[in-house]
Amino acid sequence: MPASRSTRIVLLVYGLVVIGLLYLPLVSVGFASVSQARYLSFPIKRYSYKWYAEVLESGTVRDLLFTSLSVALIVMILSVVIAFFGALAFARYEWRYRSIFQKLILLPIFFPQTVLGLALLMWFNALGIIPSWKTAVVAHLVWIAPISTLIVAIRAYSFDPALEEAARDLGANTPTILREITLPLLLPGLVSSGLFALLLSWGNFPLSLFTTGADSTLPEWLYAKMVSGYSPLVPTLGIMSVVTSIVLILTAFAVAWLARSIRDSHAA
Amino acid sequence: MQKLNRRLGFLSSLPILAVFLVAFFAPLMVVALFSVMPPKVFNLTNTPDFSAYSVFFEQGYYRSLLWSLGMALGSTAILLIVCWPLAYGMAKVFRGFTLVLTVAVVMSLFVSENIRLFGWVLTLMKGGLIEGHIRAWTGIGFDSPLYGIPIIVFGLVYVYLPFMLFPLAQGISMVPDDARQAAADLGATRWQILTQIDIPLAAPGIIVGCLLSFVLAAGAVAEAKILGGQAVITIADDIETAFTFGQDWPLGSALSVILIFIIGSLSLLGVSRVDLDRIMGRKR
Amino acid sequence: MNSDALLRLENVVKKFGRFTALHGVDLEIHEGEFFTIVGPSGSGKSTMIRLLVGMDEVSDGAIWLRDKRIDETPAHERPTCMVFQSLALFPHMSVGQNIEFPLKLRRITPGKRKARALELLDLLRLPRDYYFKRISQCSGGEQQRVALARALAFEPEILFFDEPLSALDYRLRKTLEKELKDLHHRTGKTFVYITHSLEEAMVMSDRIAIMKDGRFEQIAVADEIYSQPVSRFVAEFMGEVNLFEVTSTGGLLSGSGLEVDPDVARTDLPEGEKGLLMVRPEYVRFGDGTDGFEYTISGRLLEEYALGSRIQYEVETAGGRIVTVEKLREDRATSESGSDVTLGFDAANTHLIVEN
Repeated sequence: MPASRSTRIVLLVYGLVVIGLLYLPLVSVGFASVSQARYLSFPIKRYSYKWYAEVLESGTVRDLLFTSLSVALIVMILSVVIAFFGALAFARYEWRYRSIFQKLILLPIFFPQTVLGLALLMWFNALGIIPSWKTAVVAHLVWIAPISTLIVAIRAYSFDPALEEAARDLGANTPTILREITLPLLLPGLVSSGLFALLLSWGNFPLSLFTTGADSTLPEWLYAKMVSGYSPLVPTLGIMSVVTSIVLILTAFAVAWLARSIRDSHAA
Repeated sequence: MQKLNRRLGFLSSLPILAVFLVAFFAPLMVVALFSVMPPKVFNLTNTPDFSAYSVFFEQGYYRSLLWSLGMALGSTAILLIVCWPLAYGMAKVFRGFTLVLTVAVVMSLFVSENIRLFGWVLTLMKGGLIEGHIRAWTGIGFDSPLYGIPIIVFGLVYVYLPFMLFPLAQGISMVPDDARQAAADLGATRWQILTQIDIPLAAPGIIVGCLLSFVLAAGAVAEAKILGGQAVITIADDIETAFTFGQDWPLGSALSVILIFIIGSLSLLGVSRVDLDRIMGRKR
Repeated sequence: MNSDALLRLENVVKKFGRFTALHGVDLEIHEGEFFTIVGPSGSGKSTMIRLLVGMDEVSDGAIWLRDKRIDETPAHERPTCMVFQSLALFPHMSVGQNIEFPLKLRRITPGKRKARALELLDLLRLPRDYYFKRISQCSGGEQQRVALARALAFEPEILFFDEPLSALDYRLRKTLEKELKDLHHRTGKTFVYITHSLEEAMVMSDRIAIMKDGRFEQIAVADEIYSQPVSRFVAEFMGEVNLFEVTSTGGLLSGSGLEVDPDVARTDLPEGEKGLLMVRPEYVRFGDGTDGFEYTISGRLLEEYALGSRIQYEVETAGGRIVTVEKLREDRATSESGSDVTLGFDAANTHLIVEN
């Protein structure tokens, strides 16, 4: 039943309004980051980039970025590896406990992150591990690896299991099939799951809060400043964090596009 | 092949199960054990008692829980109404715009939720983006809507919108166009198509969407803290306080166990009604 | 081991939990044969081919390839190969890479691999520049040929086909059926083909096996299956058929309102035994009762259907039985619907099915 023209337009406008509202707060943060005044008040009277300069010179900020990025990169790599196998168990292979496994995978996603962070804190304490950014990697992994698994699983569902059977029939053993057929076919899913993992870890706050110990990630520092009173560095760093995410996404799209055009030019 | 599949399935589930065992189930065990320890101890070597659970009722923590659940329920209901038309558009009406919408919503997820909530504070506060500009142009100011219960619910709706939108769109896309067409041919009104065709057939998506938003909202902290100015204390906030300022791990654990129990049983109940293979697009 | 069969199945049983898909099947397939297994869906033919290729394990019984027992051998170690229903062409590889895949696994040098792939493109009558094409750039028929080329590159002892033509449109299917038969002649390989379409089986096969409920009903050359089916199921599966329940009385087959000429239509069926007298619609003629047919039956013409080059008539006889008659268009009958007609046929064109 094709929707009428007016329905289409109403829904389209509605969609645009939702997108607008989704990003409206970031617009405020963006303006705040270029306001010269130490105490923010709209409309902004004088614009300045001095907070950006201050952020870039700050050693603390450099440490924060380094910690956040290290955590995010390691979480990304581990998540992709775990998700590759996890997705095969989730979507591809018929095995006895598959449906239980599928439901198990969802549990951490449904779980309140604050509680998970605190539970991990107690667990590390019980084990005698002193929390640092490395323990935060473990914490992020519990929440992000299942999400990555679901993303790869969607891809795994869309390919014909006969492809693997055909490869086996043509003489390939299990490792060869994984390398020559499964891995290349899941690659787009793995790339997007890696991107998700990187960005979700980069932006995560509730898990980091309790599991980084003396180290601090960018979202944690921002939160600390937010609740302890306004600092002009908060919007500035917030915007820088958002811009980093956007750059990462664009880079990923560019790489994917480049890879496809190279492949197509080979094939033609 | 079946034997091989069974073995490979088991083997490939191991990495993520190992992570779960070490960093999910084990910590939950510790929480469960701590919850039956006497007040304010920091190791598990004490004689168990259930004093922490009685504190839950005696000191009014159940009120936080009810607030959390109530606001979660409210935001879930609002999300369902807000997201339905949009999800319907994504699944059945839009073409290219579905991708735009998907990318836009997903990208917003990558921005730390506290930055986005902070942005709302800057937008809505007195002298913020909206009030500041209106006052500058018209000379008439108004009180900030911040620091109240409605704004907390608004924050929950805002933050958890993607978790309702995407499952819902997936669910609606499972409704065959033929079925709607046939119902219309047979004389069904729009309302009848919605209640007799769309909602039953999109049920898996509706269940997953409502479950996700409810459960996540029930465990939320930041909305009440940043937007609500602690007009109400949520249960997750109580848990956090018990662990940090309160230095009472058994109390925090007991509150956690109660929250986990509610969320866990709801999740299991909902998830067991959904065929994940189908909703995620298995072809066979 | 006294048989010269290439592939031999001995009492093969396949169970899925409580459901038995194959009930102790025996089969022999000979070198160079085009052997087709036909059956409706759920007959066990797909289970059968998965066991033959090694994608499922037998529950009981044995499969022999020449004098080697292979039912425990995994698919990738069996010298056989299958063309899948979905073709299972690797979408991330070019046509050339697909064809070379089995050769690459055997560590054959790239130069030799390419030479072989080009030979196979020639054999399948695909242009050589298809070597670089992407799978998605090939049409349905071309993809079919690429899948065949890939399977042949494996140099299998037996080539299996799992309904590879079922998704194609009618014309293309007809073309490819003939090409496949031609390819079978040119390569001299043993082909084992699975299909639910009898027509497909008849066009291509040397021998046909009809499957039902996890058992073979009949294994024979196509002609024999058509004219001498062993059961009602096979007879009806092989197209339009008229079946008359008859009993042997006094050396004659009678029943179902048939009138028999006692001078010619004698039977060997023991006295009192029951059977089904089968006659295909093209052997039934309209007559006036004086044409000397060995069997005659009278009825009322119901309906006439044009089937392209042929015309089909439905005649209702005593007891409501419908008898189907087929004539070539040029021999079209002149009787009108509703008129009384007499039908006749000769014993030589009938076949007696005795089911037990």
